[in-house]
Amino acid sequence: MAEIRQRAGKKFDAKTEEELFPQTNSEDKTKDESPSQPEEDDFSNLMLIVVTGLGLITRFWHISNPSEVVFDEVHFGKFASFYLKRTYFFDVHPPLAKLMLAAMGWFLGYDGHFEFDNIGDDYIKNNVPYVGLRLLPATLGGLLVPLTYLILIESGYPVITACFAAGLVLFDNALITQTRLILLDAMLVFFMTCTLYSYIKFYKFRLSPFSTDWWLWLTITGVLLGLTMSVKMVGLLTVATIGFAVLSDLWELLDIRRGLSMQQFRSHFFARAVCLIVIPIAIYLFWFYVHFAILNGSGPGDAFMSPEFQLTLKGNSLSYESHEIRFGDTISLKHKDTSVFLHSHPQKYPLRYDDGRISSQGQQVTGYPHRDSNNHWIVKPATPFLDSADRPLNDTIKHGDHIRLEHVNTHSHLLTHDVASPLMPTNQEFTTISVEDDSRYNETVFQVLIEKGESNTVWKSKASYTRLLHYSTKVALWTHKEALPQWAFKQQEVNGNKNNVEKSNLWYVDEIVGKNVTEVEKPKKPPKEMPFIYKFFELQRLMIAHNSGLTKSHPYASSPINWPFLVRGISFWTKNDSRSQIYLLGNPLTWWLSIGSISVFVGIFGAEVISRRRGMTPLHPPVRNRFYNSAGFFVMAWLLHYGPFFLMGRALFLHHYLPALLCSYLVAAVMFNFMFVNSLNYPVSYPPLTKKPVRQVLHADVPWTSYLVVGLLLGGIAVIFWFFAPITYGTPGLSIEEVKRMMWLDTWDLHFAVK
Amino acid sequence: MMLYQSKQEYYESPIHIDQISTSSIPTYTRVRSRRPVIFDGHYSDMRGHSRTIFGLRMRDLQLMTGLLLLAVFIRLYRIYQPSSVVFDEVHFGGFASKYMKGRFFMDVHPPLAKLLITFAGLMGGFDGNFDFKEIGKDYIEPRVPYVPMRLMPATLGVLVIPMAYLTLRQSHISTTASVLVSILLILENGLITQSRLILLDSPLVACTALTVLAWSCFQSEQRRPFGFWWWFWMSMTGLALGLTVSCKWVGLFTIALVGVSTIRGLWDMLGDLRITPEIFTKHFLARVLCLIVIPISVYMFFFAIHFAILTNSGDGDGFMSAEFQQSLKGHQMHDVPIDIAYGSHITIRHVNTQGGYLHSHNHVYPSGSRQQQVTLYPHKDENNVWKIMNRTNIPYDGPPVMVKNGDVVRLEHVATSKKLHSHDIRPPLTELDYHNEVSAYGFAGFEGDDNDLWRVEITEHSSSDPKSKDYLRTLHSKFRLVHLMTGCHLFSHKLKLPKWGFEQQEVTCIKGGTYPKTVWTVESNKNDQLPEDAEKVNYKKLGFLGKFLELNQVMWQTNAGLTDSHPYDSRPFDWIVLKRGISFWGKHHRHIYLLGNPIVWWGGSASVAIYLIFKTLLYVRAKRGYKDQLSESEQFYESLAGFFLVGWFLHWAPFFLMSRQLFLHHYFPALYFSVLLFGVLFDIITKFFKSRHRVLVALCIILVTYLAFRTFAPLAYGDPWTKSDCKKAKWLSSWDFDCNQFYDNYDEFNTEPTESPDTKVDHVSSNVPHGKENVATTMGEVAHKADAKNVVKEKATNNNVTEMDTEKKEFDIGDEDDADDEQFNPPAKHDEG
Repeated sequence: MAEIRQRAGKKFDAKTEEELFPQTNSEDKTKDESPSQPEEDDFSNLMLIVVTGLGLITRFWHISNPSEVVFDEVHFGKFASFYLKRTYFFDVHPPLAKLMLAAMGWFLGYDGHFEFDNIGDDYIKNNVPYVGLRLLPATLGGLLVPLTYLILIESGYPVITACFAAGLVLFDNALITQTRLILLDAMLVFFMTCTLYSYIKFYKFRLSPFSTDWWLWLTITGVLLGLTMSVKMVGLLTVATIGFAVLSDLWELLDIRRGLSMQQFRSHFFARAVCLIVIPIAIYLFWFYVHFAILNGSGPGDAFMSPEFQLTLKGNSLSYESHEIRFGDTISLKHKDTSVFLHSHPQKYPLRYDDGRISSQGQQVTGYPHRDSNNHWIVKPATPFLDSADRPLNDTIKHGDHIRLEHVNTHSHLLTHDVASPLMPTNQEFTTISVEDDSRYNETVFQVLIEKGESNTVWKSKASYTRLLHYSTKVALWTHKEALPQWAFKQQEVNGNKNNVEKSNLWYVDEIVGKNVTEVEKPKKPPKEMPFIYKFFELQRLMIAHNSGLTKSHPYASSPINWPFLVRGISFWTKNDSRSQIYLLGNPLTWWLSIGSISVFVGIFGAEVISRRRGMTPLHPPVRNRFYNSAGFFVMAWLLHYGPFFLMGRALFLHHYLPALLCSYLVAAVMFNFMFVNSLNYPVSYPPLTKKPVRQVLHADVPWTSYLVVGLLLGGIAVIFWFFAPITYGTPGLSIEEVKRMMWLDTWDLHFAVK
Repeated sequence: MMLYQSKQEYYESPIHIDQISTSSIPTYTRVRSRRPVIFDGHYSDMRGHSRTIFGLRMRDLQLMTGLLLLAVFIRLYRIYQPSSVVFDEVHFGGFASKYMKGRFFMDVHPPLAKLLITFAGLMGGFDGNFDFKEIGKDYIEPRVPYVPMRLMPATLGVLVIPMAYLTLRQSHISTTASVLVSILLILENGLITQSRLILLDSPLVACTALTVLAWSCFQSEQRRPFGFWWWFWMSMTGLALGLTVSCKWVGLFTIALVGVSTIRGLWDMLGDLRITPEIFTKHFLARVLCLIVIPISVYMFFFAIHFAILTNSGDGDGFMSAEFQQSLKGHQMHDVPIDIAYGSHITIRHVNTQGGYLHSHNHVYPSGSRQQQVTLYPHKDENNVWKIMNRTNIPYDGPPVMVKNGDVVRLEHVATSKKLHSHDIRPPLTELDYHNEVSAYGFAGFEGDDNDLWRVEITEHSSSDPKSKDYLRTLHSKFRLVHLMTGCHLFSHKLKLPKWGFEQQEVTCIKGGTYPKTVWTVESNKNDQLPEDAEKVNYKKLGFLGKFLELNQVMWQTNAGLTDSHPYDSRPFDWIVLKRGISFWGKHHRHIYLLGNPIVWWGGSASVAIYLIFKTLLYVRAKRGYKDQLSESEQFYESLAGFFLVGWFLHWAPFFLMSRQLFLHHYFPALYFSVLLFGVLFDIITKFFKSRHRVLVALCIILVTYLAFRTFAPLAYGDPWTKSDCKKAKWLSSWDFDCNQFYDNYDEFNTEPTESPDTKVDHVSSNVPHGKENVATTMGEVAHKADAKNVVKEKATNNNVTEMDTEKKEFDIGDEDDADDEQFNPPAKHDEG
């Protein structure tokens, strides 16, 4: 009997292992191996066309409504504009989807003039070809329907099951809402689904490894993985899904009973490594290359980047405002993280703080946000420590030089010493000491350490981030958001940080007093070059840091545990005068069906495992293998696209569940098949090219009841879809009663429910 | 840790499974005692003796006694030194004094270890009159019996050694390896440092060790299910688990370990078709009883003691709900009339912040209107009493009139005869446009003006009392007070006024503020006009279970909120390589720095790595068809090592999921497992050596460990050291102990005592950096801050409204509350972009 091993999955017991290689044990059968079934195929193709059409219609329906900026179109529309204007911006997502939107805009002749500043800004007044922009995600969203259909057909399920899955995707309000707007999720889900499809295709050629088709689909899978990753970092979860499947597949191939030599196994391994690791990374890098190539002008994203990076942008402010600093210059120092100046004034620290600790009663040194002559300091060489005696007294200051800072207005030197600071007993107090008093010379000496500097890097205003390391106690000049009490006019505390390598120790010279005015403006320098790979890593680091930093709570943020049960949606857009709103809410019936089917899977799985442990085999082996390998794969995809969100600290939203939702629809269809269709289509894998094995071919026998069940379910789903359609499409004129009827759960906080 | 060889034998044995009920044990034992000796060489005299720890041979006892003495010497050496507060003794010593006084406090750790320390203090004659306020505070002068208190963790630290020895011995590890592991543990500087101070980790490690010992004894009893020793060791495991988790929540990882092992055992049993479902169920229920019910009861038992001791109110009150506070002396309240009539004297409590009662006192605001302050005050006080009056001033003699929902009232501060007042002046702290100052204004006899008028809006009421929906009733009605003239709501948040406001909580009147922080309730009520037998009401009495659940919930939130970074925190990856220690204490040119013995530490980590590589190799080879038939003893070692590895993993990996600040000492339980694993690997590797050679190898390892121990001993004991020795000991540049603290040579330490501690005060204060949470603040305050943040976070998610966060910049607050002004949540962009 032939065996369907659809995808890499669980272990096989010895009995089914034999069934894996039908060519060895079923040679006596001489039946033709793939009888075409024209009727079936025609029906299947017809349905494919039908679902494609329906999918596109549901997404394109009233796509011009609303003609206003909705939800995150604020961000992604804006980014498309920035691409078209070629001004640099910063975003936590990789560039592909935004590039696609920008390309669409370019085709439509849009010049990027509109800023997408607020939700509710009018598109028509501002002359933005928004319909064209929305058509791109909508098309991809519409194609999800036939893709789902094809995944199930390719996995060997009958047309009716595939139709059921397509119907679930077709009538899901959340997918429709999310994909008919200028957002990234349409691209993400589309590429993710394509990846699943192509991996399944690839796996079906497993009996003829290294054939052209096998290579083709393996490469396509790799390319699609790269595209998915390039849309959002969540694409990594898709990589994990494919990765797990490939690893367990490789583990099976390693099995001695598969008869592969280590040489062959190595080829298998490297083929996958190249196609599924190297290719995606190359593609990911490629889009960043395009990103940097397009964004060559200075823009709102400059401030996020390092000075070196900023210098590569056309028209950046650094290249003409940055000067070398020399001994004797008067400078103002600004803290990078909190943007305050290093400040001092004649007032002293109080003798005793509120908590009873005692201070040095020295002059206060604080952080002050405004420009003021008390921020001015003269940089003086710390003469005994200079490495060579023959440097001129107005030499440029280099990385590693020792300096003293004199406060201009009070004629005193900056100093820190082994006394606890006012607010933090763990950090050192900063104060000043009169210029005349040289008795504590060593305590006034600081070393200039320029970020990424080498011994001959010159200290420049604006462009060099520096740590000022205290010579004798090795603390770094530091400040933090906490304000001192009234005795210091609530200015920010400045103290010495023992952890002197922290990122927050960085300061830069904001201006060299007198110099910026007197010096003749130099001719504009051309932007500098920076190797792509450095740019890439810098941006990548920042993206990760900012992504995990998005922890600020948001009114519509939700916790992952609520997502499958559709506890709450997101309000995307409202308009009071037409009484219309767009509210991201899934079709409750499909969502609950899909989470229900996952629990059914878990139940059957548990029962099956335990009964096998007790020596019973309730499931017929082919059915069981299909259950593990097909449903198991989809459940794994669901789990990997859902579970990791629990570990994320950032603000999360319902639409983060959409990729997992699609996987859960696949599970729902497979579980439907398990319950209502008695038999299976097999074999699903393509036969090997070399040998002509003889395999028994079976076709699923679909009872009429399953048509009935699908008909009823899809009918109900469609009705509910229609019921919620007004908040999906933003149809105007919602009455209070209508809204109230839609609020099945109290937590669905729709607008206009009360007057 | 299944003993495969015995299982196989068990399968082969002629006795049918049904016979293995309690009655058939003797037969079975007899069969077992005839079986051939399996362990080649190492444990050859197993015949006949019961394999529990009570069947120890003489040699084992002698060795154990020797190890014990060695451990006592190493752990207790100069335990009186240093004679001042070190590191977290600030907290745990402090908690001991609060136990003595019975003052309620909040800590993120369960009570057992602290109770033990308190007990030791009590035995030593400690009276609780020492506050352990900061690191370096002297013990000698105030006569604190700190030595007995330190002896408690130290004793438990010593007990770890014999427990480790017994665990390995009774798991059939060779004597050499067992002695080796014990000595490695004795010479582990980190464990030494940790155990000779008043800290919780030593009790934790001891309880973990006890659990492992009991569990491995239980595993040996597997072939005699439901026998006395089987029950004994299983319930001992449960008991030990309960103790572990009552020391610190890290004990949950130990529970996970036992859980995994139990499930593994049950799974094996499930695959054994000779075990009927009935027997399986019996096994299952026995485990539920011993490994779930017992630990939970033990855990709750210690909380019961905790509550029984802490009966007075204290600095932990602020964390708890009003109902909880009612159970503490100093907060208890008599029954009060439920009906509030005009003329009643009431106290009004803020529902959301636990900040206390609406309060006013005879001090004015230093800015703004300069009228009398209105604040929230957490304690009972005459100044919390307000008289509720109607808007007209006409005298009224009739029967009492109850205050209804929607009534306009005036509130008179009884002690100063001023009325609760608000006006269009910015409050002193929250100088925002939509906040108005709230003050007490007027004088006795002054009728007041329209700015004294407030409307009562009952927003929630007790479901058991429908009347409280329409009438303002004590405790049962929750209400907002709307200022009639400006429409703002009386509001308070977790923002403390400065000194001039006695650090009480700010009260303002907010326009369009968030709902929860504008809700108030009447807590006490007095009215002479009401009859004596008027209906009375009081807080719902919280039973033990309610208090227990609430406290655990608060502990959890506070724990998760400890996210501030600390100069000496570290991450789990740093622990396996011992990247960095913790500076505990520094004074008088001595220094205590928590640093493990690198040899032990790295040895443990290396054995984990070796075992993993070995195991992977085996798997791959098996997949490629190599028949690596492990001998029975190898299989046995392998499974034992697997158990310790899982133990190590479960005590280490979960820390990756924690975002709170982590310290090196969190690794100690995992370290214990990795050292046990080291012992097993030692046996596996030296299995083919002659016994003399293995002893030699063991001695070499011990020698190296001892040298490392010697090197770092001054940091563990706070002994004299010199700059040069210290610099030589910096094997890794990331070890940030401060060599500059020491003198240049040892002679200078002899002259040291002439310098009296007092002249060094300045030096100490600047060396304070070694505190855990900023030293100067007590744990309570820090936790408080964390709590504030947490509550805010939680409320924000619960109510879909962005909350005021005291930590935030003021303009932030502005934006957010503006949003709340609107009746609905506007569609908002999120921060993803």
